[in-house]
Amino acid sequence: MNAIILSALLGVVMMFASVFTENKIAIRNIAIFGLLILLASNLLNIYTPYSFNVDLHNMLRFDSFGLFFNSIAIVSTLLYVILSGSDIVKVGNYPAEYFALIFFVLCGVTILSSYNSLLMLFLGVEIMSIPLYILTGSDKKNLKSNEASLKYFLMGAFSTGIMLMGIALLYGASGNFNLEMIREKTSIAEFGILAPLGLLLIFISLAFKVSAAPFHFWTPDVYDGAPSVFTSFMATIVKTAGFIAFVKLFSLRMADLGPSYAIILPVIIIATLLVGNITAVFQQSVKRMLAYSSIAQAGFMLFALYTSNDLSTEGILLYAAAYSIATIGIFGILIKMKDYTFDGYNGLAKKQPLVAATNTVFLLSLAGIPLTAGFFAKYYMLASALKSNGSALWLVIVAVLFAAVSVYYYFRVIQAMYFKDGDAETTEIDGTFKFVLVVLALLIILIGINPSILLRWYYF
Amino acid sequence: MNWLPMLLDATESTAANYFPIGIQIIFAVGFVAFMIALSAWVGPKRKTSDKLESFTSGISTHGDARHPMAIKYFLVAILFVLFDVEVIFFYPYAVNFKSLGWGGFEAVLLFVAFFLVGFFYIIKKGALTWED
Amino acid sequence: MPIQYYIILSLALFCIGIVGVLVRRNVIIVFMCIELMLNAVNLLLVAFSKMHHGIAYLTDKTTTTGSDAQLFVFFIMVVAAAEVSVGLAIIVMMYRNTHSVDVNFLNRLKN
Repeated sequence: MNAIILSALLGVVMMFASVFTENKIAIRNIAIFGLLILLASNLLNIYTPYSFNVDLHNMLRFDSFGLFFNSIAIVSTLLYVILSGSDIVKVGNYPAEYFALIFFVLCGVTILSSYNSLLMLFLGVEIMSIPLYILTGSDKKNLKSNEASLKYFLMGAFSTGIMLMGIALLYGASGNFNLEMIREKTSIAEFGILAPLGLLLIFISLAFKVSAAPFHFWTPDVYDGAPSVFTSFMATIVKTAGFIAFVKLFSLRMADLGPSYAIILPVIIIATLLVGNITAVFQQSVKRMLAYSSIAQAGFMLFALYTSNDLSTEGILLYAAAYSIATIGIFGILIKMKDYTFDGYNGLAKKQPLVAATNTVFLLSLAGIPLTAGFFAKYYMLASALKSNGSALWLVIVAVLFAAVSVYYYFRVIQAMYFKDGDAETTEIDGTFKFVLVVLALLIILIGINPSILLRWYYF
Repeated sequence: MNWLPMLLDATESTAANYFPIGIQIIFAVGFVAFMIALSAWVGPKRKTSDKLESFTSGISTHGDARHPMAIKYFLVAILFVLFDVEVIFFYPYAVNFKSLGWGGFEAVLLFVAFFLVGFFYIIKKGALTWED
Repeated sequence: MPIQYYIILSLALFCIGIVGVLVRRNVIIVFMCIELMLNAVNLLLVAFSKMHHGIAYLTDKTTTTGSDAQLFVFFIMVVAAAEVSVGLAIIVMMYRNTHSVDVNFLNRLKN
């Protein structure tokens, strides 16, 4: 509860910060300070159940899963703002408003991690999405940014409509918006086609939000067109929050979709992996490659829906952390590059050895090479599928094959940095930036050596 | 499947049920007709050519519809939509005014306070200053 | 009236909205079709609310079952208004750069 209320209030504070100061550095520092307060209050929430005395009517529930994910999201945002904050304020004329919108997105993220009612799911998704439409179009004179914004908006509003129809049908079948009551009451035999149809529609709309194939088509364009700093935010914190909402809704009720669910989900997983990995291979721009790679990573995260056991809940949290940290790092470096194509990275290792080294760690983590966090994230996901159901073996094998494909396009960047001659032009890189990159890389390696460093906080 | 044929309303829809609605329609039409007749009879009359033009908020009615519009109109319209629709939450409060008591009042005050914060923000940002 | 009528009506409206989003080229009309989808949902929620209220009313004369769906409708309306204002702002922003509201303009990112 602390995080939800405080993030909304901090958003308002950031809005008014622009009225009182024009200093961009000061605005960024206020945002960092606000995020620290937010993190502290969320940690406080883990130990003391209610700091704000609010009658929730059982609409929100704060369990360790949600609170732990909040911490991951807030820490990721903090690292993101420290790393790329100086680039956020450069996007346009309204630096304070960008941070305000980021806080409002965080408010939506924290609602999504703790919702217990379909009303809160809807509000969380909307509070998370609407500021993002604005952030996507924040580069107002740039036609690509406008176009990405409009496309994202139309797709987002469309998927919201689908989700609402699903919620309405589910309500018709169960007479309740509360998740537990729906779980208690709804059964296929009693309510005919409405309940599974409603769940299917919600499934489709959430698949839109996390860009799972065949509902992924907006992702590359939007990620490519949006200002790179905000693509970084969209591809990490927002996307993982979508998955948390997905897992919370479907972890216990997948059987309600009927026997067809056992066919739908593997098909979606394979389609997502296929589209993401194969298309990423053919990209010339690193930014667009990362957009497709985020679809491919979504394919792995979808394994958390395949089963519901300890490994899958731990796995999705670990995946959220590993993927967010690595992607924030890669985007942080991408923003500093003058040329976004693979050739733009040629010879980066000679000019900026530290940046190239950390970038390598991030890319290895995304590819899932052992000794990086990405390896354990993928391992947990695949192991959870195998643990529940031996017949998932073929699915796991397919996923591993696609992971091998992904190594190709991640290594293209490493190859360009280390083994090609060129003059990789970057904008100014200061000490703080390098320091945060090293921190991110160390986090990746530490989690990669021993994931329980992160996961033991989940059971605290 | 016993719920499917469930009637939404238990009472029969007979002609008698629509009697109050009929009275209301007669009253509404009668009132409007009466007021128009009254204003035409009592009010002052002045006939100019401008008055016979159709009224479109000060925009000329002829010519290309795609001529440039000041963005201020649009901004005010959007802000109106936002602030107008939020009022919807006062309806449930009005219905439960007594039973919610002071707790409900505090909640509504908080809600209005958020409104005012937004309102101050748009004023500070100059969204409502009409002259440049 | 039986609830099926309402389900069929709102599903029909919803499908009109979906088809409109998919086939129309004018952004404003696409936008109106999305609103149509949301309003179809509103109608269905209110109908279900009345249905569940009617069922609960048979056993308990003081029941408030079903009021949550009507509140949900309020939330949908408010969120839709927020979405409309953001969406229209985006459309105006695009119009100022391209002087068109045709979605076929949205092809620069394809490559």
